[in-house]
Amino acid sequence: MNVPLSHVLVVAALLFAVGGLCAACRRNVLMILVGVEFMLTAASTAFVGGALAHGNLDGQAAVILVMGLAAAEAALGLALLVHARRGGGTTDIDGYRRLSGE
Amino acid sequence: MAAVLTDLAPHLALAVGGLAALGTAWLPRAAARSLTPVVAALFALLPGLWAVWTGGEASGMTRFFAGLLSVITLAVTGLLARFADRRGFAGDALYGLVLWSALGMLLLAESTDWIMLLLGLELASLCLYALVAARTDDGLGAEAALKYFLPGAVGLAVMTFGVSLVYAASGSLDIADSLAAGGPLVAAGLALALVGLGFKLSLAPVHLWTPDVYQGAPAPVAAFLSTGSKAAVAAALLHLCAEAPPETMDVLAPALVAVAALTMAVGNLGALLQKSVKRMLAFSSIGQMGYLAMAALAVNDGGGEAALYYLAAYALMDLGAFGAVGALSGDGPDRDAIESYRGLGYVYPWRCGALCACLLSLAGLPPTAGFMGKFLVFGAALRAGYVGLAVFGILMAVVGIFYALRLVATLYMRQSVEALPVLPAPTGPAAAAVLWAVSAGVLALGLFPGPLLAAIASIVGE
Repeated sequence: MNVPLSHVLVVAALLFAVGGLCAACRRNVLMILVGVEFMLTAASTAFVGGALAHGNLDGQAAVILVMGLAAAEAALGLALLVHARRGGGTTDIDGYRRLSGE
Repeated sequence: MAAVLTDLAPHLALAVGGLAALGTAWLPRAAARSLTPVVAALFALLPGLWAVWTGGEASGMTRFFAGLLSVITLAVTGLLARFADRRGFAGDALYGLVLWSALGMLLLAESTDWIMLLLGLELASLCLYALVAARTDDGLGAEAALKYFLPGAVGLAVMTFGVSLVYAASGSLDIADSLAAGGPLVAAGLALALVGLGFKLSLAPVHLWTPDVYQGAPAPVAAFLSTGSKAAVAAALLHLCAEAPPETMDVLAPALVAVAALTMAVGNLGALLQKSVKRMLAFSSIGQMGYLAMAALAVNDGGGEAALYYLAAYALMDLGAFGAVGALSGDGPDRDAIESYRGLGYVYPWRCGALCACLLSLAGLPPTAGFMGKFLVFGAALRAGYVGLAVFGILMAVVGIFYALRLVATLYMRQSVEALPVLPAPTGPAAAAVLWAVSAGVLALGLFPGPLLAAIASIVGE
């Protein structure tokens, strides 16, 4: 039983919207990172759906690379956050106001 | 096997160069201090030599960007050498990250495959996030890195989703094949991919991170991210616009026209209002990217050649401008307030002369490279029929002359020269050589654009 591609894409689009809203509306750096992970997962879903619909493995390979990419990005992002917090910052993105042109 | 090695020589040089830079940490501390930049510079030089002499079977675009990125990396290494050493953030990792970032930029610029595009962009960006925060004793660097990372991560996620849509619709990860398939889903995916590129290129509605990041990053690093990463992302933008089928471009062109116009307006008007030199240069680079988006629209009417010339010219002038800001800075934070540049032109004529040449070029005044670049870009836009956009761009370029002249005038103001707040630190021979070379290049490209244009024409004609 194959799920039609359009259904997969609708789910992916919904995931992407959830992630995008989370990244755009939350002020906490960790929640923004979670939103970004959602968006990348949406892309992975669409890749897998496409690979199934077209019967080639490029999409599956892409998912593995996207996973690696997401992991590297999360690792660096968290490292930057730890570094910034050690320098007196917060996890709240509105707490970073030293660079604002004033 | 041998053919593969010649084709991949620049990539290998940059990848191995990064490892070699890290390897110098084995040496005694004093030896490593002076040797690491030299090793990095040697490996950064290799792609340029490859582009000029051998080139293998590689495409013209690969050779052009291998050469351009080699020049940029070499210049940044030179600017960083004494700068980072005096301020205590020099080290093997710094140069390794510069070289690997250049590798990512090269992969991104030459990519014909969506996955390589994503990986190249990510490799370049991840290294740059870390480089922005390289000066660990400075809280501004950490804040700038976070402010660079978050929009960058969102932009990359948007782009990845766009690529996945293109793939789901066409079943191919090859950029040319998948875009040729056409259809609404491919157009939507391409639009999302362009939004992602827009984040990295700081096109107007998604440019807000740029001034903060340039202000917080150490000046040579700001030079790197405003030239190298912009050049590579712009190459990808040109490639996508050139490969997109006409019916898709018809849908996307109005949005791109609006984005280009808004970017020019925001960049040039925003630069007028700044009190900080690095923020002003950031807004100026936003404005320059607006001209580049205009060239991307006209990519099939000679906009491609114009854009490549413009990228080379822009790389030289931004390297010079940020490099001079770094050379005029004291050991503490970078010299940033426009007020603190007052009268410096009389005390440090050479460094300020380089800054002036690059500012006049950014403003697009003859006889500099910036003038020729703008001339070519506007010519291409007019040929492609974007008359309104070109006229608007010329108006904005006239506005842009004012902010550049304001800083030039400040440099040569007589008053209160004695009240210099901080003395510039010594620049070192490498940075001085880079400033000389870049200023000479800005003038040479403006006075004798022929050789570079001929080279670009032969590359695009291939």
